[in-house]
Amino acid sequence: MKNLLYKEFKLAVHPSMVIFLFFGAFLLIPSWPYFIAFGYLFIGIMNMFIVGRANQDVFFTAGLPVRKSDVVRARVLVIVLFELMQIAAAVPFACLNPLINPHGNMAGMNPNVAFFGFVFMMYAVFNFVFFPKYFKTAYKVGGAVVLGVLAVLVFLGAVETAVHLVPWLNTNVNAVGAGRLPGQLLVLAAGIAVYALVTRLAFKRAAARFDKVDL
Amino acid sequence: MEILSVRNLCKKYEKFELRNVSFSLEPGYIMGFIGKNGAGKTTTLKSMLNLVRPDAGTVAMCGEEFRANELELKQRIGFMLGGVTFYPKQRLRVVTKVIRRFYDEWDDAVYEGYLRRFDLDPDKKVEELSAGMRVKYALTLALSYRPKLLLLDEPTSGLDPVSRDDVLELFQEIIEDGERSILFSTQITSDLEKCADYVTYIKNGEIVASSEKDDFTGAYRIVKGTGDQFTDELKQRLIGYKKNAFGFSGLVTAEDAPRVDHLETSPADIESIMIYFEKEHRE
Repeated sequence: MKNLLYKEFKLAVHPSMVIFLFFGAFLLIPSWPYFIAFGYLFIGIMNMFIVGRANQDVFFTAGLPVRKSDVVRARVLVIVLFELMQIAAAVPFACLNPLINPHGNMAGMNPNVAFFGFVFMMYAVFNFVFFPKYFKTAYKVGGAVVLGVLAVLVFLGAVETAVHLVPWLNTNVNAVGAGRLPGQLLVLAAGIAVYALVTRLAFKRAAARFDKVDL
Repeated sequence: MEILSVRNLCKKYEKFELRNVSFSLEPGYIMGFIGKNGAGKTTTLKSMLNLVRPDAGTVAMCGEEFRANELELKQRIGFMLGGVTFYPKQRLRVVTKVIRRFYDEWDDAVYEGYLRRFDLDPDKKVEELSAGMRVKYALTLALSYRPKLLLLDEPTSGLDPVSRDDVLELFQEIIEDGERSILFSTQITSDLEKCADYVTYIKNGEIVASSEKDDFTGAYRIVKGTGDQFTDELKQRLIGYKKNAFGFSGLVTAEDAPRVDHLETSPADIESIMIYFEKEHRE
């Protein structure tokens, strides 16, 4: 797997994905729907897969001494790495956010500990839709990204609505900074668990579908 | 022990079907894989390598079932499916740097040797290579970890006559130790006359024959005659035929040859066998 990751970074990772890592700084914008800062990665992913298609990347990788499922595993792993880096890169800016929004975010959820739990879930939703859809053909990128993003938008719409309309959630989960930490940590833990489980499931479904693809 | 064994490989597409493709190869031999465009050569090779998922059949290489041992077997077999077309904007040096890491037995000295032999410049980008050079680069990559079995899809296509001769000589060198084998598809039947020990002929997704080269050509005769001699009874015996202003020419099996001894007969070569077989149902 080390060699496959080397291959991904040497040949396949699109530079835009690295640039989007810095978009965590958008958490310093006063009152903004901060989930958007994490959505730019989807543009990077689309670039990477479209350029990969032009370079016949899937055929190249499948020709290496790897299992067919490793082609999927390497791709999922790289995207997981970028999702985790995207989250990690945003944490320092989230810590500074209460200084910019002392009375809380007026345009969406506060970027607190629970917020990151939802970011994990948001990436889980994307992975769950995108990977199996893409690897059904290993060719059609656009539709898979659009479906993934639509699913993410539905999920985030539900999250924003819930944390603002349900009083208990608004108090405990949408707190500013580290206030009401136990409730927030619970959401973060749930987010990480959902992310790990769902992404694993997404990989398995994608690999099973890719096995049937004729290259 | 067989180094390659393909048994009843089947793959159904909407408009094409591989039907019970079977053949085998012993260590130390070269097998030519022939058939016209669209006959199923590449699909067979891809199905053997699990790049296309076969509907049925088994493939064993070096004594092991391929699908169950894909990882280990890909270390021991070399394959090329046409010239290198992936990552066209990358330099050969970079592509090789990535690929070599995957092979336990990769040998830089062997790789460098082939680069020199094929006159390949590692600082060139893939897209800067001509069709023939792309084939040579693909061959170089497939040979640099000394695989036991080579599966090559049209390794001589796009090569100039000198390079083609060189590649065919190289094939002979590779199998000299008696432990390695090569299966290669080609449209150039003179390649087979020069270096193949066995010939496998596929037509419309079905294997017509898979045998030693001399047995393959020895099984047929070319017959020629005048228009008057072209009777309905004779037509039934001909596998395929061509008519011209002076008469006709056709292909018969060696068994049928004595029954047409009133006609001019001559030995058949691989190319004419293929041509007459493909004319089988045509007027």
